[in-house]
Amino acid sequence: MSGSYGTFSTKEEERRKRTVRDSVLIRRVYEYAQANKRNLQIGVAATIAGAFTGLAAPYMHAIAIDSIITPKNLSGFIWWIPLFVTIILGNYLFQYIQTYQMRIVGEKLVAKMRDDMMEKLQVISLKYFSEGEAGRIISRPTNDANTVRIFIRVGLTSILVDISSILGAFAIMFYLDLRLSLLAITVLPVALLLVWFLGKYSRAAYRRTLITTSGLTARLQEDLAGIKVTQAYAQEKETEKKFLRSQEENVKATIRAILIGSSYTPFVMALRLIGTMIILFFGVNALLASPPTITLGILVAFIEYQFSYFMPLVDLVTMYDQYQSTMSAIERMFDVIDTKVEVVDAPPERSITIQ
Amino acid sequence: MSIAKPLLDYAKSLKPQKGFAQSFSSFKRLLQYHRRYPWHVASIVVLAVVRSILFSLEPLYTSLIIINVIGSPPTVPSNTSLLPGYLLVIILAGIGYAITNFILTYVHGVMSQYIVRDIRSEYYRSLQAKSFSFYDSVGVGDLTSRATVDLQLVDMFLRTWLGTVLNAVFTTIIIIAIILPISPTMTLISMAMMPLIFYFTTRLWIDTMPLFRNMQLIMGRLTSYIQQNIIGMKTVRIFRQEKDVVDGFKMVEDVYVNTAISAGKIQSIYMPLGPALLTLGATLVYVYAGVTLGVPYSALAVQQIGYLILFVRYMLRLTFPIRDASQTLGTWIAAYAGLERVQAMIDVPRSVEDLPNARDVVIEKGKLELENVTFGYVKDRPVLNNVTFTVQPGEKIAILGATGSGKSSLIYLIPRFYDIQAGSIRIDGTDIREFKLASLRRQIGVVLQDVFLFSGTMRENIAFGKPDASMDEIVQAAKSARIHDFIESLPFGYDTPVGERGVTLSGGQKQRITIARALVANPRMLIMDDSLSFVDAKTEQEIQSAIEEATRARTTLIIAQRFTTIKTAKKILVLENGSVAEFGTHDELMARDGLYKRVYETQFVQKASLITEEAGGS
Repeated sequence: MSGSYGTFSTKEEERRKRTVRDSVLIRRVYEYAQANKRNLQIGVAATIAGAFTGLAAPYMHAIAIDSIITPKNLSGFIWWIPLFVTIILGNYLFQYIQTYQMRIVGEKLVAKMRDDMMEKLQVISLKYFSEGEAGRIISRPTNDANTVRIFIRVGLTSILVDISSILGAFAIMFYLDLRLSLLAITVLPVALLLVWFLGKYSRAAYRRTLITTSGLTARLQEDLAGIKVTQAYAQEKETEKKFLRSQEENVKATIRAILIGSSYTPFVMALRLIGTMIILFFGVNALLASPPTITLGILVAFIEYQFSYFMPLVDLVTMYDQYQSTMSAIERMFDVIDTKVEVVDAPPERSITIQ
Repeated sequence: MSIAKPLLDYAKSLKPQKGFAQSFSSFKRLLQYHRRYPWHVASIVVLAVVRSILFSLEPLYTSLIIINVIGSPPTVPSNTSLLPGYLLVIILAGIGYAITNFILTYVHGVMSQYIVRDIRSEYYRSLQAKSFSFYDSVGVGDLTSRATVDLQLVDMFLRTWLGTVLNAVFTTIIIIAIILPISPTMTLISMAMMPLIFYFTTRLWIDTMPLFRNMQLIMGRLTSYIQQNIIGMKTVRIFRQEKDVVDGFKMVEDVYVNTAISAGKIQSIYMPLGPALLTLGATLVYVYAGVTLGVPYSALAVQQIGYLILFVRYMLRLTFPIRDASQTLGTWIAAYAGLERVQAMIDVPRSVEDLPNARDVVIEKGKLELENVTFGYVKDRPVLNNVTFTVQPGEKIAILGATGSGKSSLIYLIPRFYDIQAGSIRIDGTDIREFKLASLRRQIGVVLQDVFLFSGTMRENIAFGKPDASMDEIVQAAKSARIHDFIESLPFGYDTPVGERGVTLSGGQKQRITIARALVANPRMLIMDDSLSFVDAKTEQEIQSAIEEATRARTTLIIAQRFTTIKTAKKILVLENGSVAEFGTHDELMARDGLYKRVYETQFVQKASLITEEAGGS
C-alpha cells in the first residue's frame, strides 16, 4: 500500500505484483456465480459428462477392431452401432447444454460485478477521480470486465473439459493396459516441469503487455480529451510522436509475449511424440510376443488416447496465460468493489434539510 | 433512469441485420493492410504447407507399422526390422512440425501486431485531423474503446486467421490426396460429412454475426457512458444522480447480456455439431470396413484394418483444422464488428483542411476583418448571420451575448476550428483559408472555455504550443499569466507534474496556466473564451489581472463575463441571435441606449458593487 487513496489510479499500483491469492479471488467470484447456481451446476455437470462421452470413441473403435471386424463377427454391429450413435448424440447434447449454461453464468456474473463497480464508483471519495488518467479507472469496468467475460466464455469450460479429458483418458488407459499406461505417462512429469518453467517467463511477459496496453489506453484517452487544445496549437505531429512511441512499446511487449507463448508448443509436441514412440515400440513388441499381451485394437486406442490427453494438456498450458491475466483483471475489479467509502451519506432520518 | 434513456433506446432499437456485403468489404480492406508485409505473408503460406504435410505423415506411418511390421502371423509374417525406420520418420515429422508451428505462430503474431499498429495509427491520425464539429458529437470514451477493445478483437482474428485457413485447406487436400488412391469408396464415405460441417459452420456465422455486431455497438456506448460518469463524477454527486446513473447502466447492460446469451444459444447449437458429425462419419467407415472385410486373418484383412485405422485417424485429424477454422470464423464475426467501428471513424471526412494553394503566412500586424460571415453547424440553420466588423491591430474586443447567440462559434471561426459557409475572414488582408492551418493556428493564442491540461510537468504544459520554447520564454509567459509565483512556490518548480501524483490545481490556477500556454509563442492575436463564472473574488481578481497583462498590445477577441474585462476592452461587440446588434466603445454604446446599456445596468453594475465590497472586506 503506497497511500490511503488512489490505489487504482496510479501507474505504480498498476505495475505492482498481485497480492491476493488466487483461491481468495476464485472463492469471491464463485460467490457471484451463486445467483445462477442452477445454471452453473447444470453447466459443470454437462461439461464433465461431455468430456467423458467425448472419450468413448477410441475405446469403441478398439472394440470394433478386436471383437467385430478382425474376427468377422458382423452381428456385433447390431449393438455397437446404436450404442455408439447414442454416445455421440449424448456428447452433442452435453456440449450444447454446457455452452449455453456456461454462457448464461459468465455473462450474468460479469454483469453483476460490473454493476457493483458502478455502484461503488458513485459513492467512493472524489479523490479517486481527481486528476487525469481516467483511462485507468475506466479500464476496470470495461477492459478488465471484458477479459473476465472472454475467459469464462472460452477458458473456463476449456479447463473443465481438458481436466476431465486428461483424467478420463488416464482412467481408460490404465483400465486397458497397466504396463503400457505407465510407459506412456513417463513423459508427463517432464512436460509439467517444462510448462511450469516456461510459464514463469510467459507470465512476466504477459504482465508487461497488460501494463503497456493500459498505458496506451491512458495515452489515447488523454490525447482525445485534449484534442481541441492540440489542434488549437497545431501540435498534432508532436502528440502523434508520443502516441506512436507508447504504441511501439506495446507492440514490442506483445511480440515478446507471443515469442515466449509460442515456444511452449514445440516442446510439448516433442514430448508427445516421444510418448507415441514409446507406445508404438513397446506396443508392437507386446503384440508380436507369443502369446501377445495386447490386442491390435488396444494399441490403436492407446495411440488415440495419448493424443487425447496431450492435446488438452497443450490447451491447458496456453490457457494458463489467459487464466493469469483474468486473475489480475479480477483483482483489479475487486479493488474497486472493495474500496472503502470515506464520506458516508447520513441515513434519511438523520439528514438535515436546509430551509 | 432519465440519464441512460437515450442509450437504452439506442440499444433496444438495434435490429439484427445481416451485412454480408459489408463484412466482405471490411475483410478486403483488412487484406490491404497485409500487402505491406509480403514477406510475412509468403513465409506463412510456405510454413503452412510444410506444417500440413508434416501433420499428415504420422497416421500414414502408424498404419504402415500395422500393415508391414505387425502383419498377421501366421498368414502375414511380421517384419520388425522396418519398425525403427518408421518410428524415425514419425519422430522427424513431429519435430519438423513442432518447429514449423513455432515459427509460423511467431511470424503470424508479429504480422498481426504490425497490422494492428498500422490500423491504430491510421485511426489515430484520422482523428487528429477531424474538425471540432466531429468532437462535438462523439464521446471520447467511445473513440478510445474503438482503438482498444475493438482492435483487440481484430488482433485476436489477425493472430491466427491466415495460418488457420491455409491449414484447413492444405490439410484437407493432402489428406484426400493420401486416402483417395487407397479406396475411393471409403474416401467418399469418410468425407460425406464435410459439406454438412461446412454448411453448419456457415450458418453459425450468418446467425451470430449481427448479434455480435450489436454487442459491440452497445459496449462502445456503455464505455462512453462509464467514462462520462467517471469524468463527470463531481456533477453526478452535486445533482444526486448516482442512483439514476447506476439504474440506467443496469438496464442497458441487461440488453447487452440478453444479446450475448442469444448469441451463446446459437453457438451452443452449431458449435458441437462439427465434431459430432465427424465421429458419426468415422462410425460409417468402421461399418463399411467391417462389412466388406475379406476372410479374417488374411493379408487382405490386415491391410484393410491398417487402412481402416488410417481413414479414421485422418478423419479425426481433420477435426482440428475444421474446429480451428470455425473458431476463426467466430473471431472474424467479433473482429468484423470491431473493425467496422474503427473504419467508420476513419471514413468520416475531415471538414476543415488546407486548400491546395495554402501557404505559410506571417501575421505582421494582426488586423482582423470579418465580412458578411455566415456560419451554421448544420446547413441552412445559420448560427451566425452576415457578421461584419473590423478589429485594428492590438485592439481588444469583448464579445457579449446571451447563451446561444453565437459567441463561441464566432471566435472559433478565426483559427478555422469551423469553416464559414459564406463571406470572408481576413487577417492583415489575407483570407484565412489561404493560410496553412498549422501556420494560422500557431500564430493565434487560444484559451478555450474548457481548461484542459495534459499530464506532464508545468513546463511541458506551458510550452505545449512551442515545444522548443526557452526557459525564459516560459517564465515570461507564466509571469504575464500571473502564475509564475505560484509555480515557483512548488517543490519542483516548473518541473512539478500536473495531475495525479503531482499537484492538484484549482480551476483558477488551471485557467492561468492555459493563458500562459497561449502566450508562450508570443502571438499577435489572441482569442479567449473566458466563461469561468463560478470563482471566488480573489481568483476573479487574479484571472482578471492575468487577462489584462496577456491582452496588452495583442489583437484580442474575448468572450467576457466580467465587468472589468468589458470596461478595459477597446470595443464591445454585442451579438443577438447570430447577428451583430451593437459594436463600439463603452461610451458609444452607453450613448446609444440599446441592448448593451440594458445589460450593463441590470447585471454589471450590481455585480461590480458586489465584487468591490467583497474585495474590500477580505
